[in-house]
Amino acid sequence: MSSKSNNSMRNRFVGAIILIALPALLWSLPAQAEKLLKLPKLPELPKLPELPKLPHNLQIHGFASQSWLKSSDNNVFGKSSSDSGSFGFTEVGLNASMRPLTRLQFSAQMLSRRAGEGSPGNVRLDYGFMDYTYFSGESSQLGIRLGRMKTPLGFYNDTRDVPFTRPSILLPQSIYFDRTRKLALAADGVHLYGERRSDMGDISFQAGVVRPLVRGDEAEVAVFQQLLPGHLAPEISYTSRVNYDLDGGRIRFAVSASQLNMSYAPGAVDGLRAGSVRFTPLIFSAQYNAERWSLTSEYALRRLEYNNFGVIPNLDFVGESYYFQGAYRFTPEWEAVVRYDVLHTDRDDRDGSKWAASPASRGRPAHTRYAKDITVGLRWNVTPEFMLRAEYHNVNGTGWLSTLDNPNPGDLVQRWHLFSVLGSYRF
Amino acid sequence: MTVSINIGRFILFVCLLLGIIYAGTARATEPYEIVTYPGVKEKTLSKNSLRAIFGMRLHIWPDGAAVRVFVMPDDSPLHAAFSKEKLNVFPYQLRSAWDRLVFSGTGQAPTTVGSPEEMLARVASTPGAIGYLTKSKIDDRVNVLEIK
Repeated sequence: MSSKSNNSMRNRFVGAIILIALPALLWSLPAQAEKLLKLPKLPELPKLPELPKLPHNLQIHGFASQSWLKSSDNNVFGKSSSDSGSFGFTEVGLNASMRPLTRLQFSAQMLSRRAGEGSPGNVRLDYGFMDYTYFSGESSQLGIRLGRMKTPLGFYNDTRDVPFTRPSILLPQSIYFDRTRKLALAADGVHLYGERRSDMGDISFQAGVVRPLVRGDEAEVAVFQQLLPGHLAPEISYTSRVNYDLDGGRIRFAVSASQLNMSYAPGAVDGLRAGSVRFTPLIFSAQYNAERWSLTSEYALRRLEYNNFGVIPNLDFVGESYYFQGAYRFTPEWEAVVRYDVLHTDRDDRDGSKWAASPASRGRPAHTRYAKDITVGLRWNVTPEFMLRAEYHNVNGTGWLSTLDNPNPGDLVQRWHLFSVLGSYRF
Repeated sequence: MTVSINIGRFILFVCLLLGIIYAGTARATEPYEIVTYPGVKEKTLSKNSLRAIFGMRLHIWPDGAAVRVFVMPDDSPLHAAFSKEKLNVFPYQLRSAWDRLVFSGTGQAPTTVGSPEEMLARVASTPGAIGYLTKSKIDDRVNVLEIK
């Protein structure tokens, strides 16, 4: 069973490589054909026109990562609470970028992510866009991106599925919860971006008008906590982030604000009407980087609104999340991380008691509305390409657990532990 | 008696160790320069621009040519010295900035070369190239860039 899924994984990975490598190969074929044609030295053959130089700036990068998770209770990415733990967390990605003109870049990444019931590991387009630099000067630049871009949220959302760019195996779940990743992962549309560099620091921004990727079961469960007969459809949404980097990134600040809109199209037999959902995350981020240690903290307010669904009353509540994180590099190879991470689904009902007493909870306990996670972890860069990680979570609350992996609320345990190891390769 | 001898040996050992560490740092700070392809017209560059170029966020020389960045591996002493002294950042910060660009599609990584000889050869032969080299390895195939 598992070897079968591994095989199909490998096939998909190979498929993705072929998909990206083939155009490059085809591009190079005419060049070789020209050489071959010259061999017979037939003067009557018309001389082929000069071909453009091969794209020397084509870059291909990728990564493959496998984790093992074992929890005392509650399931994270597969049956982690079983005796043997879960090997159900696999991330594989392959990207290509090219600059055919100095001002123009094309980039695309294919990604397969197997992580519990919500992410079965299908290969999908993670991002794919063209980037045109409209203006580039010594101290500023301005440009536009068209296509599917990662949603700029906080420090980590843009590269959240790439283990080498994360501070730990699991990102701080209060802000980057895997349960609602689909809503805020990437979106199709247009982004403007710009940057201004000076001795006072570098200010950069990106802002876009987009359609979020909300089709699929994962998004539906994230929004409604269950699968429904109808389906979600994307609506026009807005996303933005401003970064301020001081002294080359010794101190980094960011403010991210997005408004993600989606509508619900009821099924043939459906108690719900054609309502709408609006998710408005606002994130403040700060980081200090010294030679051996880095301190990071992010604070998020996440407003969630449900309107015009008929049977369920209109809902409007604000979630609150924050974490403090310290990383220490003993050597360039060894790094330790400590983090305290807090999630409140509704900041006006921090312990979930009001919600648990209301009919909306449908019997789910109060601790599904918060989570406080103490994490310690270790990273070993065995080589620049290969990394091993281990980490331990002590969690009070079940607020960010996937309802697909934990379908029975009666099985949830308020205080639980999670241990995980990860191996990751990159090129 | 034996104790004092042991202490003497210990001091000797520490001195040797410090000597090795000192030799290591001395080698790392051997004088170096920022070098460019001879066709690059720029003779001086501001620190901010240099940082933006090696941060892979400034892709175009003022004359419109594409910038091509060459670096030594992250663990090379020359790369560490260059990052800290010329850019005022640590190698790990550069690596994570490049990773953010590469894995979100918003930029590209610099080209890593394996040796100073390769650095010289690549910078000398790639239009728009910029890199860094210890003075003893520099010859007239590349230009030396001054930082304001």
